[in-house]
Amino acid sequence: MNRRDFLKGAGASTALASIPGCGGIPAIVGGPRRRVAVVGGGYGGATAARYLKLLDASVEVVLIEPNEAFVSCPLSNLVLGGFRSMAEITTPYGGLIEHGVHVVRDTATAIDVDGKQVRLANGNPVHFDRVILSPGIDFMWEALPALSDEQAQWRVPHAWKAGPQTVTLRRQLEAMRDGGVFAISIPEAPYRCPPGPYERACLAAAYFKAFKPRSKVLILDANEDVTSKGPLFKKAWAELYAGMIEYRPNSKAIDVDVRNNVLKLEFGDEKADVLNVLPPMKAGRIVEPFITANKRWCEVDWLTYESRAAKGVHILGDSLQIAPLMPKSATMANGHGKTCAAAVVSLLRGEVPNPSPTLVNTCYSMVSERMAVHVASVHKYDLSAHTMRPVPGAGGVSASMNEAEGTYALNWARNIWADALG
Amino acid sequence: MLARVSAAVWLAAACGAAAQPAGTPPPAFAPPNLGASGVRAMAANCASCHGTDGRAAPGSAVASLAGRPRGEVAQAMVLFREGRKPATVMHQIAKGFNDDEIDAMDAWFSRQKRREDPAR
Repeated sequence: MNRRDFLKGAGASTALASIPGCGGIPAIVGGPRRRVAVVGGGYGGATAARYLKLLDASVEVVLIEPNEAFVSCPLSNLVLGGFRSMAEITTPYGGLIEHGVHVVRDTATAIDVDGKQVRLANGNPVHFDRVILSPGIDFMWEALPALSDEQAQWRVPHAWKAGPQTVTLRRQLEAMRDGGVFAISIPEAPYRCPPGPYERACLAAAYFKAFKPRSKVLILDANEDVTSKGPLFKKAWAELYAGMIEYRPNSKAIDVDVRNNVLKLEFGDEKADVLNVLPPMKAGRIVEPFITANKRWCEVDWLTYESRAAKGVHILGDSLQIAPLMPKSATMANGHGKTCAAAVVSLLRGEVPNPSPTLVNTCYSMVSERMAVHVASVHKYDLSAHTMRPVPGAGGVSASMNEAEGTYALNWARNIWADALG
Repeated sequence: MLARVSAAVWLAAACGAAAQPAGTPPPAFAPPNLGASGVRAMAANCASCHGTDGRAAPGSAVASLAGRPRGEVAQAMVLFREGRKPATVMHQIAKGFNDDEIDAMDAWFSRQKRREDPAR
């Protein structure tokens, strides 16, 4: 569906706006009470919903999310390594409900910009005064044709959206023979969570070291070098997992032979016992009509997160065309959620949004069950470039891998989950 | 091509300093918003590690900031920024804030209630 079709369709559906209420959500019949619909209950969307209520309890907030509970991508590599359970990275949406957020368990299928409503797969459309879209990423299966088939996606999992895919990949690692090869294929940047694949290599190797010591991790990276925390990861591979992790840059996947577990690269093929392929990524499906950058990502006004393509539509998190040196990380999505929530509250009141937002990114990666490394940065609004830019001299990476940062990483998870989900 | 530029940008980030691609003009940052909502928004950045409104989860190894005596958070931030207090990450983050911003966030956190029910 192109943008023009989308907008045409929008006009036809405005009649639905008169249907009162839906799924237990009180109908809006005018008056001063304003409703914000939030699509997607991940780090960005859940945070936006929580902070909308924190900043102005009178705003009605409807969160639309198909999953029963939030499952964290950060820390999910600990599940792959066997060091944590799925339950330990899962948080229910009950906290947000306690804070007064209406949580609608449904899938948003389209945004009717002119009619100001979110269309749902099952329920009635949800009307909004403003809408915040935080769908995360979607996969560009066309770049790996054999994986367009859904069954193939479970044989060769991505496990790049935490949940059943994480469980599937963990089971494959458990079933793998000692002496087997676990291959991780990384797409060209930008993709969600730049250091995530290298962390995954560490934690798979940690598992192998304890239980299958003759096994190997093979990293096939489309990029020319490790895209984040490179020296720290390389040190961890050499010192903690000597001889177990092989890193090959400039190794771009072009397809998969699913039956034989063979990754087809631009130059040559690579067979593995367990094959984990991260396809190239783009903005989540619901924001497709608002993609403006490189046919993949959405551009926004960094003061309000309002889409460059549509008024009243705000977009957060991994779907965004990143600002300079801003990673697609959970902490960034959390920061987007807060900045956007504050701006939306201001706009609903007819006030001027904060002209000087700050974002702080702290991104931890586990290099073993207990040790972590970080990258941090502070971003402020640049008046001439109209974007967020890192503050020169601030930020940096860990001096070395260490257990203190491992503890801080786990604390970060507890506190950010509570911050986003109540 | 765009993807390659982005990769280079991340590589720069991985090297530690907030390096900019060559030829990029120096940033012209908006003046800090030290109004009530601006300070609250700035302080909200601390929540991902230190808890919402500076109230960290019970038993957290990361300090709670809410309800600390006026001046305590600011003193720690200045020491972090100047490299006079040991840190894993705070020396890097503190360099992103000037004295006025640090003082305003300190005042804001000092006014927040501490976590009352430690069992929660």
